[in-house]
Amino acid sequence: MTTLTDPRPGFRFVSPTASREIALTLTIIVVGALFSFASPHFLTVNNLVQTLRAGLELAIVSGGMTLVIIMGGIDVSVGGILAVSAIVIGKAYQAGLPVFAVAPIGLLTGTILGSFNGFLTAKLKVPPIVATLGSMYVFSAIMFLVIGGAWIAGLPGTLSPLVNGAVGYVPASAIVILAVYLSCWIILRRLPFGRHIYAIGCNEQSARLVGINVDRTKIITYAILGFLAGLAALLYVARMRNVEINMGTSIAFEAIAATILGGTSIRGGIGSLLGTLLGVVFIRIMQNGLVLVGISSLWETVIIGGLLIVVLTAEALANRRKGRPS
Amino acid sequence: MIAPFSRIAASDPLRARLILLAGLWIVAIIAMSLLSPYFLRASTVPYLLQYVPVLGLLGLGQTLVVLAGGPGIDLSVGAIVSLVSVVVGALLAAGLNIWMACGAGLVAGALFGLINGVLVNYLGIPSLMATLATMFAYGGLALATTNGQPFSNFPAQFAWLGQGQTFGLPNAFLFVLLPIATILHVMLTRTVTGRHIIACGNDDRAAHLSGLDVARIRTGLYVLSGVLAAIGAIIAMSWFMAARPDAGKGMELLAVTIAVLGGTHIFGGTGGVPGAIVAILIVTTLQIGLQLANISAAWQLGVIGILLIGSVASIGGFKLRWRTSS
Repeated sequence: MTTLTDPRPGFRFVSPTASREIALTLTIIVVGALFSFASPHFLTVNNLVQTLRAGLELAIVSGGMTLVIIMGGIDVSVGGILAVSAIVIGKAYQAGLPVFAVAPIGLLTGTILGSFNGFLTAKLKVPPIVATLGSMYVFSAIMFLVIGGAWIAGLPGTLSPLVNGAVGYVPASAIVILAVYLSCWIILRRLPFGRHIYAIGCNEQSARLVGINVDRTKIITYAILGFLAGLAALLYVARMRNVEINMGTSIAFEAIAATILGGTSIRGGIGSLLGTLLGVVFIRIMQNGLVLVGISSLWETVIIGGLLIVVLTAEALANRRKGRPS
Repeated sequence: MIAPFSRIAASDPLRARLILLAGLWIVAIIAMSLLSPYFLRASTVPYLLQYVPVLGLLGLGQTLVVLAGGPGIDLSVGAIVSLVSVVVGALLAAGLNIWMACGAGLVAGALFGLINGVLVNYLGIPSLMATLATMFAYGGLALATTNGQPFSNFPAQFAWLGQGQTFGLPNAFLFVLLPIATILHVMLTRTVTGRHIIACGNDDRAAHLSGLDVARIRTGLYVLSGVLAAIGAIIAMSWFMAARPDAGKGMELLAVTIAVLGGTHIFGGTGGVPGAIVAILIVTTLQIGLQLANISAAWQLGVIGILLIGSVASIGGFKLRWRTSS
């Protein structure tokens, strides 16, 4: 098998749509400046660190979502995976298992549920949106059946240093996020597997003809997202020390929004992790800033939705000008 | 000789799906009557039909959008229901008469559908992404403009549509869903417009080359989906005598489930009204039956999820076999 070479000049962390990352960075700076003028509480170390901690799960899940969307897939069930993993983690803690046992169990749960999605799309040929919609129903059913209306509360915070701790002046949350994105970057940009993800996203049929094992790549990629959702669940439990019934309800849509805002094409084949990370930062800063400025947080979805429409429209118009089939 | 044969062949998978669905419905009815002694009674029929219209209208709209291919999907229908509820509720609260307020609601629904249609068909944004963005925007607007507060205190005669009955059947079913479903069925199977819609779904390139304005036809169906969602919103308001800004939450997923379960191929070209109607009955029977049997709504979610995956997976499996044998 011939090795796939990157058609773009050199391996870069920035995507071919580097303009998106620059635009997003500028937007974040402008929005951040506006918020810090409007509220004295915005640009404080305490507030920013809190925002970082609260955005930990979204950041982790979005990294995996980026891989799936670059591959031309989508996963709307990731909130369900997060919730079921959290429940398994909660139950394992309650059963008295030590953290060394609980952590792998949580990660394994996420991975299995993720590969279930991959199996549905790759082997049963169910379109990803339908497959993950269906599995989201199934996962939320599992969640309701296991914990009913109750919370699982009073869980040990053994892992909470991973969220709340700090190494010197660097918050541990930042290190976790960087580690996750670095791993995703290595998978996507340094391993042949990442080339396969891009290839499938560009043209699945060609990828198959070139000799890529498309089904296996799909299952593994969905499993990676599941694994990261399991990790997010582990950190969620460490942070909140409880499992509540409506956790994870909006995380899938937020992760998709962050990924698309970050320049990843919903058609697959194009995308960057840096963009996604900036997208997450943007969404979280909006959420935090609006509350501090005193605007109802209900406007947040309007703003994200409106921005998505603007970004997608601009992209479509740019594609049309370039004469690319849109 | 060839033409009638191909017509039979084309209608055959639909008929097979219809028989399968009818069988499934009977199984659901038997299962529910075993679960609850209250289910198999004459009084269940109007009770069940009370639930059918709102979801039915959304499911029919979704069926048409998916049927016309693209691939088309409208994830914003639930948010349109919420936003139209808010528009109509605010107008009624402002003292406008019922007809004017409802008329304005229908126009609003058409407008929201038109925005979806233009984003998808003229700007070329993938339907999944475009309607996800408008779902955020519409749903967010409904919540943000009202601060989450419902409107109520509607004039008493407004209840006629959602609560009244004629000949023992709910008015919303008898005077709204039944006529609309009949008209849409006749349109799809007996008129040129219907043929055009199916032609777009089968092969948009061929449809374009034979002179059809594919983008306009598909946009029209998004508008129709918006109008049907608006009618659904009005029925729901009249039923509960309140306009909740989250009235349509989660309905988009049920609408997609109904369309896909009803045998409409997710990439368009095959499908129809009868299948969608039986799918609505199956989904509603499950809802009502489990409610009567006092079983957790979680099972309902789980069963719907499995139905959704199963209904598409079987198509996928069938195709796979066909491909390997040829």
